[in-house]
Amino acid sequence: MRAIQHLSALAPLALAAFAHADAGSDAGAGVLGQQLVTGLSNGMIIALIAIGYTMVYGIIELINFAHGDLCTLGSFMALTVAGALGMEMWSGVGGLTGVILLLVTAATFCAALNWSIDRAVYRPLRSAPKLTLLVSAIGCSFVLVNLSLFWGGLPMQVFGGGVAAAAPKDFPALVSDNSLLPDAWRLNFTSSDLMVWSVTLPLMVALTVLVRSTRLGKAMRAVAQNPTAASLMGINVDRVIGATFVIGGALGGFASVIYALYNNTISFQMGYRTGMDAFTAAVLGGIGSMPGAVVGGLLIGVARALSDGYIEARWTNSVVFAILIATLVFRPSGLLGAKLRDKV
Amino acid sequence: MLAGAVLLGLLDRPLGLNLLDPMRGVLVFALLGLGLNVVTGFTGLLHLGMAAFMAIGAYAFAISTCDIYPFQIGFWPALGVTAVAGALAGFLLGAPTLGLRGDYLAIVTLGFGEIVQDVMKNLDAITKGTQGINPLPAPSLPVVGEFGTDERPWYWLFLALLVLAVKLCRNLERSRTGRAWLAVREDQLAASCMGITPIPVKMYAFATGAALAALAGGLWASLYQSTGEPGNYDFQISILALCIVIVGGMGSIDGVLVGALTMIGVANIALPKLASWLQAQGIVNPSNVLGSPNNWKYLVFGVVLMVMMRVRPDGLLPARLERAGGGS
Amino acid sequence: MNTRILSSLLSLALAPLALAGGTLKVVSSLPRTGSANAQTTSMVNGIKMAIDEVGGQVDGFKIEYEDMDDASPQRGNWDPAVEAQNANKAVRDESVIGYIGTYNSGASKISMPILNKAGLVMISPGNTYPGLTKPGMGEANEPRIYRPSGKINYFRVVPTDDLQGRVAAEWAKELGCKSVYLLDDRELYGKGIADVFEKRAKELGLKVLGREGIDPKASNYKALANKIKASGAELVYFGGTTQTNAGQIAKDLRSAGVEAKYMVPDGCFEEAFILAAGADSLEGRTYITFGGLPANQLTGRGAKFREAYTARYKVEPEAYALYGYEAGRVLLDALKRAKEKTRAGVLDAVRATKDFDGALGTWSFDENGDTTSRIMSGQTVEGGKFQFVKVLGQ
Repeated sequence: MRAIQHLSALAPLALAAFAHADAGSDAGAGVLGQQLVTGLSNGMIIALIAIGYTMVYGIIELINFAHGDLCTLGSFMALTVAGALGMEMWSGVGGLTGVILLLVTAATFCAALNWSIDRAVYRPLRSAPKLTLLVSAIGCSFVLVNLSLFWGGLPMQVFGGGVAAAAPKDFPALVSDNSLLPDAWRLNFTSSDLMVWSVTLPLMVALTVLVRSTRLGKAMRAVAQNPTAASLMGINVDRVIGATFVIGGALGGFASVIYALYNNTISFQMGYRTGMDAFTAAVLGGIGSMPGAVVGGLLIGVARALSDGYIEARWTNSVVFAILIATLVFRPSGLLGAKLRDKV
Repeated sequence: MLAGAVLLGLLDRPLGLNLLDPMRGVLVFALLGLGLNVVTGFTGLLHLGMAAFMAIGAYAFAISTCDIYPFQIGFWPALGVTAVAGALAGFLLGAPTLGLRGDYLAIVTLGFGEIVQDVMKNLDAITKGTQGINPLPAPSLPVVGEFGTDERPWYWLFLALLVLAVKLCRNLERSRTGRAWLAVREDQLAASCMGITPIPVKMYAFATGAALAALAGGLWASLYQSTGEPGNYDFQISILALCIVIVGGMGSIDGVLVGALTMIGVANIALPKLASWLQAQGIVNPSNVLGSPNNWKYLVFGVVLMVMMRVRPDGLLPARLERAGGGS
Repeated sequence: MNTRILSSLLSLALAPLALAGGTLKVVSSLPRTGSANAQTTSMVNGIKMAIDEVGGQVDGFKIEYEDMDDASPQRGNWDPAVEAQNANKAVRDESVIGYIGTYNSGASKISMPILNKAGLVMISPGNTYPGLTKPGMGEANEPRIYRPSGKINYFRVVPTDDLQGRVAAEWAKELGCKSVYLLDDRELYGKGIADVFEKRAKELGLKVLGREGIDPKASNYKALANKIKASGAELVYFGGTTQTNAGQIAKDLRSAGVEAKYMVPDGCFEEAFILAAGADSLEGRTYITFGGLPANQLTGRGAKFREAYTARYKVEPEAYALYGYEAGRVLLDALKRAKEKTRAGVLDAVRATKDFDGALGTWSFDENGDTTSRIMSGQTVEGGKFQFVKVLGQ
């Protein structure tokens, strides 16, 4: 598989990891395994958000700067629902129901919001220069950040009574952090890791099926290829773009909930780094390519974990971007991006 | 445009406007915008890391002048060093990456910005890490002496430097290189058919833009007599620079000036004044997140951007050059 | 086009003209936009309490207060341009007799020389970088460079990093820890205090197993927590604040199964820290140092303040509310003592502050402009609340 082949970009990091980890010893190998689990879980969240970037990019060539902040709002929505229903008390099957309820609410909310943003902000600018759209997205990002700030001031128990709106908020641990593996393995694979993997992987499969085999997916690919031609073939381009925003938003909504459940903290500025990581992942994998976004996200998650673990945390951002730059120098269209010629 | 700036400089005191102080910031950001305009506006390369060059400029200026370093070469020579350092950094970034297409290049510039941040923060021995470097010398001129708290000499000096930069950009735009930039922006393939080699042409644009941005960084640091923290040159500043160029009108030099006035004017002049006015009227309820005007700043700033793009998709003062039609 | 923009700016500029006469102004310059707003709200509440306590007037002069923001939306954090603007604005307005600020030491580096040249007194409720006042603690040219007039105009009511980092390390040793893992947020305050902690810890024979600078915007620190767990450290010290993710670190340490104690400085001594971290992650393992006594341990002046504050704002006063109150009060006290109600008069009076009966105890300003108060306290978290443990460094 090409995807696996390209994970070799991580080789130098992994080497550094082995050198430090003293992989011969059990303890060293245990830590390395732990870092990989952490990296993959983080990577899956990044990947899910990255798909939102890459879908929108593929279809209207917009780097949607507001996408990370959309996810922030999704998390705030989830916390509101969790708080209103007193979910921190739910356990067992109740807890599972709670998680599903949050996923559905946040996904619906983000899908609707993303669609509305497209309708109100981006659609009127379809024929405008590309960068005009980009600056609108930046403006939109500022607005969403501010809305999250206001939301944090909601006078609810879960928001600390709304006194310190700007402070980070604790998100109730509906999914436990207890390891599912026997102690002897010296490896923590927790329920939250399982939750991340079991939400993300099926979503990715479903999405691939959707894009490959459904009418809508075909229409999306057609619009991405050539909007004019697509509309001549009877495809309602605005509708397809709207649908893309809905799907991207829904994925962002799912991601926002698993982010919140995995990290247990949300704050109005959290969209910044997550958004940037996801955007980087989308580019690393090849903008417009969905499998690329997934590979990119996993790569970045793992690279972050290994860099934190074996290099120095203060250089982690540099390591991630150095990998990105090095990759692009050798593969100018990202890992799985279509090798496009310059458009003529 | 520039006449307006001169008028403001003359009338500020008599009318008691006190606008020259924040206007100095507008001038610095106009310079930064001019730099980005060469890269993005003229040559069509999306650049999301201008803050890095501003940082490099500020730190080059600081290290060559501050009395905790051995160089202490003074304001004017340091400005030269600043521009050269910026241009070199531009080359360094451009050399391996300028072959990349559109948004791939954009993210490389973004990444470069993040790496520069880390370097500034982590290399304590050279950059003083999180402390920033201060004090930095103010410029001094014959007659006027060394600049101090009076904002007028600063304003006039920055305005003069900006006029020079505008002149430079106009000449460049009309030069052989400038026409090559525009050609590459409009259609790289056609341009290369006409005998233009895109990479060196782009490289030149990158270096010029970086030098102007670095100059802006040097002036910025000198103005506040401190580089401030490395965090002051983060992604948000790169984004601000981009907004200045696009809101003003991509590729339009007048546009950059209007863009800088609008963006910095809204964020650093209008919003603080509005907040202070609301406070004086007693329309403030700090116990509620909605009741404090400062909590609305992001929203207003974002809405201004969106409305501006909606009303004038080509910017406030679009470049006069006909946009090439078709070809997405 | 440009005339239209100009005229709209003009109208904005002319709007807030107010007449001064029998009115003196106190201004504060603190970050209002972005994540530090929570602390600023506390500090401003404290300042307002101090002003209202004297009935909003001193010797027949009405005291006006303006709460200025030194952050900007495009930065989301303190902005050098805005801080310089605030300082210049204060200098221009003749009725301003005191400048309370800043929160970030980096911002003070910019406004200090401006205010110093104007002889306007500046009192900080938040700056802890030692180099701002103490010779030999920062760069060779500090603090001289902040005093171009040669006179001291900058004072602070908070103890500096060199004191707090030191007692924190000593407390760690008292708690029986033999090895520590250090984290900092790569900002001036957090890194500075962690540096002092590290130095002192080594002197005390504690083993420093690692030192990492984090990205305060990262979504989690699970990988770092794994690394810390493998190191076997007995204490994790984080130089940072609630805003730079002290809460997330606590959670990730716990979920990675790190059993080490967790110690943080006063930047985390606020309810928001417990809210962000979740009480469970902190319970019984977290140690917080603070440059003063917590509100519920105060006696005399401080106890009265606590009572009034709680009645007015319906919350317990937090660390920064105390600092803000103290800064406001010491300024008004000096104004009252000043023979001439001018900048110079107030500056002289502030400088002469001696045995001040403040909420943080009885203290004076030393020759550098620092508080002589050396009281430090240590607290832990029990039952989801801060619990005072002991006075430190005595």
